[in-house]
Amino acid sequence: MNDGGHLLFYIAALPFLGALVPGIMIRAGRNACASFTAVPTALALVLLGMLAPAVLRGEVIQAEIMWLPQLGLSASFFLDGLGLMFAAMILGVGLLITLYARYYLSGDDPMGQFYTYLLLFQGAMLGIVISDNILLLLIFWELTSLSSFLLIGYWKHLPEGRQGARMALAVTGAGGLALIGGMLILGNIAGSYNLTDILTQGEAIRASEWYLPALILILLGAFTKSAQFPFHFWLPHAMAAPTPVSAYLHSATMVKAGVFLLARMWPVLAGTEAWFYIVATTGLVTTVLGAFIALFKDDLKALLAFSTVSHLGLLTMLLGFGSPFAAVVAVFHILNHLTFKAALFMTVGIVDHEAKTRAISRLGGLRHLMPITFLIGTAGALSMAGIPLFNGFLSKEMMLDAASDTVWAGSDWAVPVLATLGSLLSVAYSFRFIVHVFFGPVRDDYPAKPHDPGFGLWAAPALLIVAVVAIGVAPFLAGPIVAVASGAVIGGDLPYYSLKIWHGVNAALFMSIIAVAGGLVLLAAHRPLLRAWDAAPRPEAKAIFDALIGWAVAATRSVTEWSHNGTISRYLAIFTVASVGLGWIAYSGGGLAAPSREVLPVPPVIAVGFVLLVTATLWVATMHHNRFQALVMIGIIGLSISAGFVYLSAPDLALTQISVETVTIMLLLLALHFMPKTTPKESPMGLKLRDAAIAGVAGLGVAGLAYAFMIRDVDTISAFHLDNSYEGGGGTNVVNVILVDFRGYDTYGEIIVLGIAGFVIYALMQALLNGPAARRLKNADYSQDRSRDRHPLMMVVVTRVLMPIAVLVGIYLFLRGHNQPGGGFVAGLVIAIALLMQYMASGFAWTQERKKFEYHTLIGFGMIIAGLTGLAAWLLGNPFLTSEYGYITLPPIEKFGLGTAFAFDLGVFLTVLGAVMLMLYSLSRIARFAGETVNVEPMDYDPGERVADEKTEV
Amino acid sequence: MIQSDLTVILPEIVLALFAMGALLGAVYTGKDRLASLILWITAAVMIAVAAWIGLTGSGTNVAFNGMFHDDAFARFAKVAILLSAAVVLIMSEDYMARRDLLRFEYPILVALAAVGMMMMVSAGDLIALYMGLELQSLALYVVASLRRDNAKSTEAGLKYFVLGALSSGLLLYGASLTYGYAGTTLFSGIIATATEGQVSLGLLFGLVFLTAGLAFKVSAVPFHMWTPDVYEGAPTPITAFFATAPKIAAMALFARVMHDAFGGAVGDWQQIIALLSVLSMFLGAVAAIGQTNIKRLMAYSSIAHMGYALMGLAAGTAFGVQAMLVYMAIYVTMNLGTFAFILTMEKEGQPVTDIAALNLYSKREPGKALAMLVLLFSLAGVPPLLGFFGKLYVLRAAYEAGLAWLAVAGVLASVIGAFYYLRIVYYMYFGEDREGLDGGGSALLNGILMASAIIMLVGIVNFFGIEGAAEAAAITLVN
Repeated sequence: MNDGGHLLFYIAALPFLGALVPGIMIRAGRNACASFTAVPTALALVLLGMLAPAVLRGEVIQAEIMWLPQLGLSASFFLDGLGLMFAAMILGVGLLITLYARYYLSGDDPMGQFYTYLLLFQGAMLGIVISDNILLLLIFWELTSLSSFLLIGYWKHLPEGRQGARMALAVTGAGGLALIGGMLILGNIAGSYNLTDILTQGEAIRASEWYLPALILILLGAFTKSAQFPFHFWLPHAMAAPTPVSAYLHSATMVKAGVFLLARMWPVLAGTEAWFYIVATTGLVTTVLGAFIALFKDDLKALLAFSTVSHLGLLTMLLGFGSPFAAVVAVFHILNHLTFKAALFMTVGIVDHEAKTRAISRLGGLRHLMPITFLIGTAGALSMAGIPLFNGFLSKEMMLDAASDTVWAGSDWAVPVLATLGSLLSVAYSFRFIVHVFFGPVRDDYPAKPHDPGFGLWAAPALLIVAVVAIGVAPFLAGPIVAVASGAVIGGDLPYYSLKIWHGVNAALFMSIIAVAGGLVLLAAHRPLLRAWDAAPRPEAKAIFDALIGWAVAATRSVTEWSHNGTISRYLAIFTVASVGLGWIAYSGGGLAAPSREVLPVPPVIAVGFVLLVTATLWVATMHHNRFQALVMIGIIGLSISAGFVYLSAPDLALTQISVETVTIMLLLLALHFMPKTTPKESPMGLKLRDAAIAGVAGLGVAGLAYAFMIRDVDTISAFHLDNSYEGGGGTNVVNVILVDFRGYDTYGEIIVLGIAGFVIYALMQALLNGPAARRLKNADYSQDRSRDRHPLMMVVVTRVLMPIAVLVGIYLFLRGHNQPGGGFVAGLVIAIALLMQYMASGFAWTQERKKFEYHTLIGFGMIIAGLTGLAAWLLGNPFLTSEYGYITLPPIEKFGLGTAFAFDLGVFLTVLGAVMLMLYSLSRIARFAGETVNVEPMDYDPGERVADEKTEV
Repeated sequence: MIQSDLTVILPEIVLALFAMGALLGAVYTGKDRLASLILWITAAVMIAVAAWIGLTGSGTNVAFNGMFHDDAFARFAKVAILLSAAVVLIMSEDYMARRDLLRFEYPILVALAAVGMMMMVSAGDLIALYMGLELQSLALYVVASLRRDNAKSTEAGLKYFVLGALSSGLLLYGASLTYGYAGTTLFSGIIATATEGQVSLGLLFGLVFLTAGLAFKVSAVPFHMWTPDVYEGAPTPITAFFATAPKIAAMALFARVMHDAFGGAVGDWQQIIALLSVLSMFLGAVAAIGQTNIKRLMAYSSIAHMGYALMGLAAGTAFGVQAMLVYMAIYVTMNLGTFAFILTMEKEGQPVTDIAALNLYSKREPGKALAMLVLLFSLAGVPPLLGFFGKLYVLRAAYEAGLAWLAVAGVLASVIGAFYYLRIVYYMYFGEDREGLDGGGSALLNGILMASAIIMLVGIVNFFGIEGAAEAAAITLVN
């Protein structure tokens, strides 16, 4: 940190601290408020003045405090010539604007708020020009967007202000974000986020492959901010802001930020072809276009706005040339433009303030009514036109000089001619400003009687005009600052140039003469030209902007509505396609070892089974509208799968599968009774085909994946289970041991879930029977469905005979489960099937009456038994559910093995049984509700009674 | 052994027991009459647990043989999850009560979802991961369709459930493939198998499908379809909940799986995550432009924001994870404020979600409009607000990891995205003058809105120190 470096912090902080003041001081009156607003600005200016001598000597003042070092963000500032010039401009004009606004704003406007915003903006702007860290610069950059948004929107009641603010915000905001990207890239190329470091690495940056993206992104930021073609349209629309704001933001400071950035980045980015063609061309187009449009604007502020666009284009063009001389000219012109344009804006503000209109067509003849304003305005406009003895002339001459020897795409006349045309138009609108506003006859229909305002209002522009004339007459006054600022831009030795009025007879002089003469001719022919302009079709930027936005909104909306239309089938389709796509990425990303397994031979029976399985599956998918058929097909699928398990030597799975299939099919069958016979048709054919294609691809993908894995050897954990099943779990049926031992915890969780599922179904039915569904059910006519023989004799007999056998089988399966296929789960299902059949054969009511246990109780006991078994292990000092195993001899049976797993399996058994039966019971409640009666016929009697009857008869 | 295990997961146990106790207590006593009380107690308990975890936790503790990790990363995520869930609960009380939606199950479900999220971020094993994920999801499915008498809400909940089930299936498929080829479900075991260049195809498939399942949870494109519907259909407080805590949890889980289990194979997942990220950013930005419903808009906004968070993850570095955590913390804070505002949007007592209702809002409520302006600019990532620093973090992480194209895409997407945030600002400040909102909102909601906006402004000074915590968290995860 050099001497005085810390002053930079104060300079940067003062406006922000000062922003708190106006809000407080406004209570003390408007004068106090304005005065106190001026204090921080003035203080900052004084501090800047203290640093100025060092900077003018060529020193660079730096100051840094680390902020977020990980992000490369530090609060670091530096002040070189360019920064000094801009900072002085910002603070100086800020001071003048403060004064001007005090008298400009009416009593109704909340002045405290205005000054707060103004100071915020000033601080942000100041931050841009003295930031060393580019991230810090970005922060200030966007802060100007924000605070300018608040300033533009200050007069909320004006309708045109809205559109303008929106456009300004959208364009500059978006540009700022693009700038962030560009700056990040730049920082990464340079390896530092500090400008002082970056500026030394021009060579490396220009050679980088990321140069062009960075350049384009940075230029987007700069061009949007500085209203360059084709982003120029927002600036005129932002003129709805109060005039002090326009004068400050849209002529002197904010729009110059883009130019400042170009100048700041000049040493690292300039000098390439891309830079020249993008920047210089954009500038050239903008300057001509802006000047041309300005000529025809009726609103004085719009005229000045387009003139600003034109001059900004001029600056951009100069910087785009990439030659040191042009850069010097640009710096000089920045200074000159600031002085005359701010003065002109304030003049327009005065006219607007006094005459209550800014429309040129309603003005004229003000020369006599407002002599002071006339003087100020004329001086400013003459400078803008580039008339000798005003500073605009000096930089314009130099600009034309720079343009005269610039070759554009092999043509050495394109740039000079267009530059001259730009100047010509500039002369024309400048004179128009003078002639149409101040000359001509005095009118008698001004909206208000115009007269010169008080000193407070014209003091600020007058001061600026003094500077305009002073530099215009004695150019050497600006010499030091231009030299040091240009030195900072160029980053090397200054080229030869001289700031003087007379450069001798050269090309620039002729071009200048042509421009002035042509401009006067244009002005003379203004009336017919205006008619032609009004008649000619021309692209209205605002309309285009609105149309573009409208189009973008419509386009995105149609995309969104297409993809997010609320249809779940579409969502699922997208989901599936995406998953398949991801699978494809994975597949193409990894190498696949050669297959290491032979494909097994396919015997005819298996082939038939396979075909059956596939056919049934397709049948379900296509014919599911007929629910009964679908159910039958689901049954076939289940049986085929069970058979497959048998074939693949998994009897345990087969047993489980087949019992689960039976139970579910039976339950479904019972439930089907209460549902419509067909499902609604939901989608048209095309959609179905699409879905079929997607489903097919996804299914084939999964199948292919499975196939690919199956023909390769894989390490599985089967061996572990096989090795430890008997040793550790005391059983030879590995599946059962896994269930009750290895993964006993999981099973414990599962039976709890199963039990809960049973309860939930029960509870849902309860709710259902009280709701609208119950009414539908009650009103439905089931009489057609009923067979005359609801409980066929044969079936009743068979099921009742089967009952004890089934129970026995169940117990058998249960007992052998630990070593042979079987187990509590299967046993529970088998017995559940036996009971289910009773329900089907003899009716719900009949069976219900013979029920001895509540199913809830069964579930509860099952869970408690399983849980206690697990806890018992704790008593033995083992983790939860560790199984114990031993042999017991219980006469008269032979010695047999018994483990705690047995008790656990009992819990599983009870829970499964209870859950299945509870589900059935829930269904039966619907049946009862729907009007099924308790049947007493047939077979509903005790055969024993009949024997007794017969005996008595005999 | 078991005791030390239980000590590690004590916070989870406490919260779970509290939730179950509250459920039983409420069922047998006052039911919905107690809803308000339970809500406040739940929020208090969650804040207490957050404080407990945040203040006393230290070091890395592993429980249940590596299934559960209590480390700086998990703690960071848990504190964020619990605090945001608690704030959402507090925000929702008034809204839910006035619309007769305040069921006693609501805070309990939120608490259970929070338990699930805490499990998720601590998972060190695929099984633990799935358990946490499902506990969270099941609670969320129910919460999403809490407004049972509203067709839109029910439909949204159902869609969420169906798609969520599908994604869970996909995730399980991936998990089982991973297990099949790694031979273990422990992350520490998987990472030993899955190292750079040696990832077998089976493991790769496992990784990809796990990613797809997780992408659904963070609502990354193209697994995001449920988001707009659920955001729009669910009652606003629940939308606020969806936009905050579950997002952190899913993101943290994502990071944990990618780094703890597949940290050795960054190259294999980096491109996928980057792809998800870029798709999310762009779709979120583009699709939001056409929205007129602010809740739907926030849904797309959240999709875009998840894209940015994924960008940090895609970097595959510790700095990337840090960036992601910081981003998520900032994102959640912004969202809480924004939703606090949306909750106050009402007209004649009815909630309003149409953006057009905000026309010239700044005229009626300058303070709140300014706060919203700050939040929206922050959401758009405009400097100097905190949201910008979040973006800066992830952009840098991506750039430094060699994903420059992703960083550039992120910037472009943010330019597009800025448009719709600015549109709201535009409406608020320059809209047409017509009838708008009339509700003032409770002091609490306004307070949260203001606090959130102030954090966006003041937070840039030092991020309130979360930077350091995030860094510590990231380092424990990526090593």
